[in-house]
This record gives sequence, C-alpha cells and structure tokens, in this order.
Amino acid sequence: MAQVVLKRLLATIPVLLLVTAGVFALLHLTPGDPIDAMMAESVDATVKESLRRELGLDRPLPVQYAAWMARLLRGDLGRSIRNGEPVVDNVGRRIRPSLQLAAMAMTVSLLIAFPLGIVSAVRRNRAPDRVGTTFALFGICMPNFLLALLLIFLFGVTLRWLPISGYTDPLEDLVDGLRSLALPAITLGLALAAVVTRTLRSSMLETLAEDYVRTARAKGLSEARVVRRHVLRNALIPVVTVLGLQLGTLVGGAVITEYVFALPGVGRLVVDAVFARDYPLVQGVVLLIALAFIVCNLVVDVLYGWIDPRIR
Amino acid sequence: MGAPLLAPQDPLKQDLGNALARPGGAHLLGTDNVGRDVLSRVIWGTRISLVAGFVSVAMALLTGGVLGLVAGYSGGRVDGLVMRAMDAVLSFPPLVLALALGAMLGAGLTGVLIALGVVYTPTFARIMRGQVLGIKSREYVDAARALGAPAWRIAVRHVLPNAAAPMVVQASLSVAFAILAEASLSFLGLGIQPPAASWGSMINAGRGYLQQAPWIVFGPGAALFVTVVGLNFVGDAVRDALDPRL
Amino acid sequence: MISRMSRRGFLQLCAAASALHPSLARAQAPRKGGTLRVGFYIEAATMDPHLSGSKIDRQIYHNIYEPLVTLDVKLGIKPGLAESWQQPDPKTLVFKLRQGVKFHDGTDFTAEAAKFNFVRMKTETKSVRKGELANVDSVDVVDPFTLRLNLKKPDAALLATLTDRAGMMVSPKVVQERGGELERNARGAGTGPFEFVEWVKDDHILLKRNDGYWSRQGGPYLDRVRYRPIPDDTVKLQSLQAGEIDVMDYVQPRDVAAVKADKNVVVLDVPSLADFAYQLNHTRPPFSVKALRQAVAYGLDLEQIVKGVWLNVGVPANGPIPPTSWAYDKSIPFIKRDLARAKAKLGEAGKPGGFSFTMTTNNLPINVQEAEVMQAQLAEAGISMKIKLVDGATLISEGNAKSFEMISYQWSGRPDPDGNVYQFFKTSPGTSLNWSGISNAQLDALLDRTREVSSPAERKKLYSEVTKILQDELPMVFIVHPIEPKAFSPRVQGYEAIPDGMMRFKDVWLRSS
Repeated sequence: MAQVVLKRLLATIPVLLLVTAGVFALLHLTPGDPIDAMMAESVDATVKESLRRELGLDRPLPVQYAAWMARLLRGDLGRSIRNGEPVVDNVGRRIRPSLQLAAMAMTVSLLIAFPLGIVSAVRRNRAPDRVGTTFALFGICMPNFLLALLLIFLFGVTLRWLPISGYTDPLEDLVDGLRSLALPAITLGLALAAVVTRTLRSSMLETLAEDYVRTARAKGLSEARVVRRHVLRNALIPVVTVLGLQLGTLVGGAVITEYVFALPGVGRLVVDAVFARDYPLVQGVVLLIALAFIVCNLVVDVLYGWIDPRIR
Repeated sequence: MGAPLLAPQDPLKQDLGNALARPGGAHLLGTDNVGRDVLSRVIWGTRISLVAGFVSVAMALLTGGVLGLVAGYSGGRVDGLVMRAMDAVLSFPPLVLALALGAMLGAGLTGVLIALGVVYTPTFARIMRGQVLGIKSREYVDAARALGAPAWRIAVRHVLPNAAAPMVVQASLSVAFAILAEASLSFLGLGIQPPAASWGSMINAGRGYLQQAPWIVFGPGAALFVTVVGLNFVGDAVRDALDPRL
Repeated sequence: MISRMSRRGFLQLCAAASALHPSLARAQAPRKGGTLRVGFYIEAATMDPHLSGSKIDRQIYHNIYEPLVTLDVKLGIKPGLAESWQQPDPKTLVFKLRQGVKFHDGTDFTAEAAKFNFVRMKTETKSVRKGELANVDSVDVVDPFTLRLNLKKPDAALLATLTDRAGMMVSPKVVQERGGELERNARGAGTGPFEFVEWVKDDHILLKRNDGYWSRQGGPYLDRVRYRPIPDDTVKLQSLQAGEIDVMDYVQPRDVAAVKADKNVVVLDVPSLADFAYQLNHTRPPFSVKALRQAVAYGLDLEQIVKGVWLNVGVPANGPIPPTSWAYDKSIPFIKRDLARAKAKLGEAGKPGGFSFTMTTNNLPINVQEAEVMQAQLAEAGISMKIKLVDGATLISEGNAKSFEMISYQWSGRPDPDGNVYQFFKTSPGTSLNWSGISNAQLDALLDRTREVSSPAERKKLYSEVTKILQDELPMVFIVHPIEPKAFSPRVQGYEAIPDGMMRFKDVWLRSS
C-alpha cells in the first residue's frame, strides 16, 4: 500500500511541473502589468522601473521562470507583489475559512443527498424518486451566485436569521462562526447535494440489479438489510469519486460564493491575484491548489481500497 | 436559429425611458436596464448559450477523444505523457484558466469556448482511454490485429463504436454544465461581447436589480433551467437505452 | 432643459452638502462610545501613505494620519497640522506648525519630523509621492515649529496636493524603528483622531479613539472604527439594511432610489471631484482625424446617458473640472447631441457613410450599460462602435501603451483643478496619464500658465480657455461628473461630507438606538 502511494506521489511531480509552467506562460501572455495595476493613478516611470527591477520583472521570461523554480526547490514560494508578504502567509491566512467552508458544504450535501439518493433508488419512479430527481435538477440548474443572493434575501434581509456577509472563525467563536458559514455552506452544499444525489441514485440502481443482491433477497433478508449491507456499500465508490473531485474544487473553486459572502478564502485570493497580475501569488496558489487536488484524488483511491478490497 | 422569427421585438432596441418595465403588455417578460425586451433577448440568447454549451463540449469531445484513443491504444510512454498532461489540466483551477484566457482574448465567446473546452477535455480523454483499454484486450481485436489490419482501422471499426455510448452520455451532461458555467463566467466578467446576450450574461446583468426588477433574471433563469433539465433527461435516456440492466 | 435643471439641482446640492444632512445632525449632544462598522468595496493595500497608490487607502489614512493642510466642505484649504502658511514669494512656502501635537507613539510633531517626512517622500525608493512633490526643491527647518519649502518653480496646485497623502505626517520614530513593517502595521504612526489597532488581512482593519488628540473641539467620539471589505455591491447594501454595518462608501446609482425610500438607511449625496470620460487616441486612426473625434462627440447624447444610465446620480460633464470646484465654469455648456453636425463632420473626414471603431472599457455593470447606450446612440449617427470588455489591469496597460482607439477613463479627481487637467493634456512623451497623446502648443502654454499664476480668479479664466480647447480638440469625450452617494444607519450622527469623498470620522458619533 505504502509503495503504491509513494509511486503515485512521485508521478505527481511531472504533473505539477506542467501546471507551474502552464500557469507561468498563461499569466505572462496575459496583457497587464502588476506594477501598473498597483499604481493605477501614478505615472512615476522611474519608481515603476526601479520596482520592476527589484522584483526581477525586467528579465526575460525563461530566466524569471528558472529563478522561480530555483526558489521553489529551496521551498520558497516567493512573495506577493501587492502586499510584499510571503505567498505561504497569504495562503495560510486564507486556507482555514476555505477548508471550514468545504467541510460544512460537504456535510450539508451529504445530509441531503444520502436520504434523498437512497429513497429515490429504492422507490424508483415513484413519488419520492420524482421529488428527489426534481430537487437534484433544481440544484444543478441554479447558478450559485443567484442561489446565494436568494438565500441572502430570504434568511439575511427578510427573516434576519443569519448574517449576510463576513467571516467569524468557528474555532474562536463556535456559534457565530457556524452562523457566518451557514449561508455559504448551504449555497455550495445544495449544488453538491444535487450531484451526489444523482450519482448515488444511479450507482445504487446499478448495484440493485446485481446478481448478489438478488441472491441476498432470495435468502430472505429484509429489504432494509439488503440495502444497508450489500447495496449501499458497493454503490459508494462512484460517490466517493465525485466527492473527491468536488473537494478539490471546493477548496480552490468556491470563488463566487466567497465573493458574494465576503469570505476571505483561497478562491477569492487567486481571482484577486489574477486581476492584480500578482504573478508569484497566482503561481504559488495554483501550485498549492493543484497539489491539494492531487492529494484528494490519492485519498479517494486509498478509500476505494477500504470500501472495496477487490480494487487494491 | 429560429430566433428572428420567434422574437417579438428587436433584442437590441433600447428604450431608456421604459427601462425596468414590469412584465405585461408589449413586453411579456418586462424590460431590462436599458429598456430592451427581455423575452426577445432570451430567445436570441438561446443561440449563444447553446453554442457555448455545444461547441465547447464538441471541442472537448474531439480533443479528449483523440487523446484518450491515442493514449489507450499506444500505451507505455505515450500513454503516460498524455495522461499526465490531462492530470495537469484537471488539477489546474479552471477559473484561473478562464480568467487568464478572458484577459488575453478580451471578454467574448471565443475565450469562453476555449476555456470550457479545455476544462472538459481530460474527462473525455479518461473515459475514452478506459474504454480503449477495456476493448483492446478483447478477442476480436486481437483477431483483427493478427489478420494484419492497420491500427487506425481497428480503432475506427472496433474501438470507436464501443466507446461511443459513454462518451455521448458524458457529452449530454457536459453541455448542461457548460451552459451553466458560461453563466458563472459572466459573473466574473468573462461573458460575451455586448450588446449580444447569453442567458448567463443576462442573469449577471440583472443580479443587481434582484429587488427592483426580478424579471430581468427570471426570464433567462427559466430558460436556463428548462434547457438544463431537458439535457439531463436526454443524458439519462441515452444512458438507460445503452445500459439494459437499468 | 432637463440638463439645465439638473445642473442647477447639482449646484444646489453642492451647497447643501456644506450643511449637514438633516437626519445626520439632529440637535442632540454628541455621545462618546460605540464601534462604527464601515463597509468598503475592497481591501486596503498599504498603511504607509508615502507608498500608497490606491484610492481606498486614503479613506483609512484620513482618520489615522493628518496632512499639513486640509479641505473644508467647499474645497477651500484650512489649517491642519500647520496652523497657518505664507507665500513670501511664488517659489517659497512657509508653514507655521501646530504645537503640542503628538504622534500616537508619544513622540512630538515638530518641523524636524515634517522635514523627515518630505525627505522620505522624495528619496525613498518605493515612494510614489515623488511626482506630486516634483516641484519641491528642498525643505528647511526654520525653527522647531516653522517649516519652509523651496520650490523649483511656482506651483499653484501644491497646497491642495498637501491636503492628501503628500502632506500626511508619519512618526519618524516609527519609520526608523519599523519602517518596513509600516505597510502592514501603522501602530503609533499617525497624529489623527484615531489610532491604528490591527489589520487582520482580508477581514478587517480596526482603529481606536486617540484620547490624546490635540484638538479639544468636537470629537473623536467613537471608541472604535472597524473597516470591512464587502466586494459585492448588492450584498454590501443588504448588510447595511440588515444592520450589519453602519456606513457604506458608495451606493450604486441603480440602488439610490430604493435606498432613499428605506427608512432604515440614510443616504447622503456627496458630489465628487471625479470625471468619467473616454480618451480618444490621437496617435492612430481613426481618431487621429479631428473631424471623426468631433463626429463621435456630436453623436453622443450626454443627457440621455446621465438620465438613463446614471439615473441622474451625476451631471453631464462639460470638461474635466467638476461643478464642485471653484474653477468650474458653468457658462460653458456640455457638448449637445447634433446628428446633422455629426454627419457633416463625417463628410468632412471623407467618411460620409460612417466608420467603425473599437471602444475598450472596464468589465463592470455600469460601464457595460453605458457602453451599450453609447453604441446605440452612435449607430444612429452612422458610426459603428464595437465594445471590448477588459479587466482593470488590461485597461491600464492598453492605456499606457496607447494601443486603443477609444478607452474608458475614470478619474477619482483631485481638489485642485490641476489634478484633473495638467497631467492628462500636457504634451508628455513616454508613459503618462495623457493616454490620448494630445500635443497642442497653445494648450501646453495655457497649462503651464495655470501653475504659475496664483490668483484663483485668473486661474479660473485660464481653465475656461483650456476647457474650450478641449471641447474642440477632444482628447477625451467627457461624459459625467458622478455624485457618490454614501449611506448610513440612522444611528450615525455628525458626518460632514467633503467632496473629495474621503470619510473623516472625527466628529461622528452613534446615537443610542
């Protein structure tokens, strides 16, 4: 097992190299300049030039990339151009709200998706299934900025049950923290729940049609027991795959939700960094997001082995 | 396509004096922030939204399909190379890609199409490769190879027909997601070029008016909903038709 | 007619802004205490006023730091850290500094400290104040509380420049001991009514009352001021309506009517110094041809834009100088739409059938809406305008590189008209804010005169001449001088609106609700 994991980790190195080279090329091909963007209302050319020199932005691109790589190998991701702080600190500040949000969204989605998915599959084509399927479609079809604004309007402005924007760390103040993350977590969680419900339903339907399930039924086991013991466990694999893929996206890709709810997460960090052409920051964050994504997938693969020993 | 015939009014005709008019009368779905007829714009927007969905997925299907085929069929080093590249794309935050492309090409349909196309490519490559690996070891493929059939012919004759089904299912779902993604990209300012409209750009333009004039969002939102639901049903139907066990 | 009405309305508004908003100035004794929660659209960039290049920073600085001189509600210049000033000759400026002022770190504010600041602004590598102080040759300490600036040449705009970051005084001790950290941590650095407490990046900036503030008149009353970035306009407004914040920096025109109807919110229309315009590139076709620039100007209907897009939260612009300025010449009308003249100009340029060009603008809702309206208006004149939407960074680099045909330009404005005029229209090779590339000898001479002459009446005349030339040569088509409405919770009292848009909270207090 350990050997497999190690091999997989080694295989990620070329992937990460490709990602960093890709983002570097992409960013520098993009028009715009970090110094100009930072000092929009100033035209002091000498100041700008000396800043560019100091940051090494005047050197040829391959040299800049090599320098960045060399630093990376020493474990240094460089500093943000905009705020002058190490990239690691920038990300460090942002990662906690992002992870908390992802965890809460995941919880919300599982709480909704499991009952709904199971009922839909077991009561296929009957009322509960229709409700479940419609819900799933609704969740999938709703652009999440729209959902976010509707939730704010309902729970924040009209009912005033939950705060509209801002972030409180649940580790510092549990109640306020959970309240501050509630609406964003529902926004993300509903969309995810929709995907998970669909996946669970179809993989359960597939499993229900397997021979061993029929055998189990024939042995006279109760339906509930069949579902719990035999179907659910085997139907979990695709669900875990989806969740793994989504977790990576949740951590780095909850941009719109973070933006609307004014949450200081990683997604907004990277988007703001792109708009500011803060090259080292974008490169560093993309690298870390890619790494997180790969690790998530690795965890998923390990989980497979745990759910279904045959796959090992 | 049918838009010029169906649309009751010119989708670009502005009437600032009649901006944010309630639905009813001459404007069944109301007017937007510069007084354009929302219904007509929804109808015209169909074209752009569908193009965004279908063309980007077609691009991904084609590139991903070919890459997956090559990777799966060649195996070894080529396989490793292609699939590592796909992993790289997959782990690349799609929004960064879209933002950079948007900044490079200026907001517009091209950037959106390329960004979405690239993002969906690895999925198709993976499915295709999986299918190819499954089929490659079958007896009839071995037989064909033994008979000296060239690789491309085996691919076209035997592999493609078998791999088609899961690809089509995935495609129909991806189109739905792509149409939605276009809406999200509009939110970040990567929509299409004004004064044209897509559903996503209309929803985005209307989001500031949710309290004053919700109909600006309602029209395109409903169109989006119906289309995505429809595409999902198509996807499910195809899946059910291809998988007899269900 | 409408325009004249709205312009009169605007001028009345400017006058009204000098009085306090009725509900913001109830006859009640100010009360100490409370935390004022302020919602801004974006996070601040740095706490070091000498290194700051973004507008949002200034909002916070005006509560922590103080400039030598400050603005009153009519944009007049009044004493700040300097009690008085004199100009013995056009190239010398002498400041008498206030005594008994302490920085938040306990050190004294003196002429030495002031000199230290000027030297730092002029020499520090990363200083972005160098351009603003370019005409300052040297600084002398005459006595512990008298400071003399020796200028390279007369600069009528300098005093107004010193009302903002270029005049803000930072504790020399803080700079010497923790200069590098000042960007993130301004503890002890200012003399203002509030002291910096903390900046939790991406979350909030917290200030607390400076109980040792030198002025015994009025505030500071608030215990704390807490700034929070809320990027989405709609959400920011809803946060105010729901009572999560007490102040927001800007209300979008589309929301103004609805917010004014909400009795939980008080809206204050603050006329700004800004001018929103489009630069036309004189260095390449099609707008290297004057007649084509004029055709576009005659094809646009500013009244309709201001009414339909800005919902009258602003006035049509006759030039770069806003109606809030003493230099504004209300006798010069803005360019009226005249399709016949636009067509004639097209003929004059040899393009009777019209022409097409690309307009680059920022990808923000109101810009897109304005662009769409302009596009429709120009189409009626036979001119086809393509819209290219870009993000802020791309816009700036296209402008600096002059790689555009027409480009949107939004200038936040400066208290002295010089800041809205000189750098945009003076012949300047290389990178500059003169994106249009206009180079006109007559204009250049006039612009130089505006800096040399010191009498405001005479300067005003010069600016009128400048405005007329600009309306003819059209380096920019001027669209609107926006009003920047700010919104408050009804608890907020004592806010005084100064047209530079900066929110100074010294005399603000919170009514117990």
